[in-house]
Amino acid sequence: MSVSDDDVFERFPDVLITYDNIEHYRGLLQRRLLINRCDDCGYWIYPHRPLCPQCWSWSVTPTEVSGHGRVYLLTRIQHTRANDRAGQRQGTVVLVAVELAEQPGLRYLSTVDGVAFEDLRHDMPVELTWIERDGLQVPAFRPAQLNEEAQVG
Amino acid sequence: MARNPLRGQVAVVGVGSTPYLRDTRKTYLGLGLEAAVAAIKDAGIDKSEIDGICGSGRDVFSVGDATYLAVQGALGIEKTTWVLNSWLGSCFVYAAQAVATGLCDTLLLVQAYRRGAEMSQSAAADPFRQRAAALAGPGIWRNTDLAQRWYHNGEPYAAWMARYMHDYGVSKDVFGRIAVNNRSHAARNPNAAVRTPITLEDYHASREIWAPMQMLDMDVPVDAGEALILTTAERARDLPGRAVYVDAMALGGTRIGEFYENGLGWGQFSPWRAMAGLWERTDLTVDDADLFYPYDGYSINAVAFTEAAGFCGPGEATDLFQSSWDKEQNILRLNGRTLVASSGGNLSQGRTGGSGYYAEAVRQLRGDCGDRQAAGARTALVGAGSFYHDPAAVLLTAEPR
Repeated sequence: MSVSDDDVFERFPDVLITYDNIEHYRGLLQRRLLINRCDDCGYWIYPHRPLCPQCWSWSVTPTEVSGHGRVYLLTRIQHTRANDRAGQRQGTVVLVAVELAEQPGLRYLSTVDGVAFEDLRHDMPVELTWIERDGLQVPAFRPAQLNEEAQVG
Repeated sequence: MARNPLRGQVAVVGVGSTPYLRDTRKTYLGLGLEAAVAAIKDAGIDKSEIDGICGSGRDVFSVGDATYLAVQGALGIEKTTWVLNSWLGSCFVYAAQAVATGLCDTLLLVQAYRRGAEMSQSAAADPFRQRAAALAGPGIWRNTDLAQRWYHNGEPYAAWMARYMHDYGVSKDVFGRIAVNNRSHAARNPNAAVRTPITLEDYHASREIWAPMQMLDMDVPVDAGEALILTTAERARDLPGRAVYVDAMALGGTRIGEFYENGLGWGQFSPWRAMAGLWERTDLTVDDADLFYPYDGYSINAVAFTEAAGFCGPGEATDLFQSSWDKEQNILRLNGRTLVASSGGNLSQGRTGGSGYYAEAVRQLRGDCGDRQAAGARTALVGAGSFYHDPAAVLLTAEPR
């Protein structure tokens, strides 16, 4: 399934799409969570940037991650700012920074599914799932199923 | 000991340019990085030698721009002690000044320009240029992307409160004591916006805004202005009023910034970089601080600056605050003496960033604070700024040293 630049702009009307991040959003439309990875030294680069901060290689490839990780940061946003139109439309939202299994400190910002905020714990193993928001499938993280794959990270 | 006295020797030692084209299909950041890499290589230096960055533009938060917030992380430069964004002709002046004054030793100046969507019909039809014009800067409030919304909001601070309590096994009292201390001081400050004393119980009962952050963890919005006049010590001696003196100062950058990215841990944020930069530039120590002004846009900022200043180690503020609590006045006296936020701070005097603290420190050191004057105060330590951007550590003294 190919997704054109125009498709990405159309499906994410209120997201800042740039040359540096468009592959990430193109991946989301294909239900693939892509993080930039250095072709030369293997370092994972997030947020989406065109240069490896470790070895300065410009050869950076958006690469699918395993989807396994642990909850590093968590919060619940009950109140939005007065001028925050998008936030008011989204309502209460749980935010998590998930430390992905691929690299220490590689913490992807997302939300959760299938777990109440009160049951979330720091360092809890989680895995990628997809939920619907604004008519789109977007990534979210749920408590990891207890099989051998979930032990990664 | 790092260099502190001003010196006047500045040289240009490297230069790098990108091609000049109508459409490079690159962001401001991509263009700036290309020039930066070329200039650093031309100078024959290692990136780790760079400790100052003058980025491009005026808006710190212009995501995708070649601002210092983006450039530092994108180049993988671990720490800086001087950063600024500027443009046109002034950027060179700021850069030269920064080197001359010792706030950094090796400075990278980056400027990037792009054909804006408003500059031509074909540019206006380009969706990348349209989107950059609509959703960067003030457009953030229309942005629906969770990661893009995370930066320059309060959410990270709420999440860090929870992580701090988890990592160090402590309760919210550490944040509550900052709120109570600051309110107790505000009660004695006739120019504070909120002066009704509170207790730890009141703190815990306040409304939750972003879990686990509560209303009393957040600063009080006000309309207010602050101004200071600064001049040389030589000139100050000829003026009739009392002056206070900058003993040392530092800014502090980390490689997290542009998106408030989450890659670092507690103890690695900007307050620690700034305070470390300060203590490298003076023979005074944290024990010499009579007054302490830790930024309190959120209560957790003040906890971070307290630990970063060296009053205690990372995660140890709970014990410090308990042992430093003056039960009669409901205030902190760090290590038995240092007063904290004698104005009431952003949490209770009102939200003016670090400017209210600079003003209070000057007045206290001049002895102008009437009923709330700290007797014999000679030294004031200010730590102001975000975990992610624009932190400053400044040590002021009542006499030039």
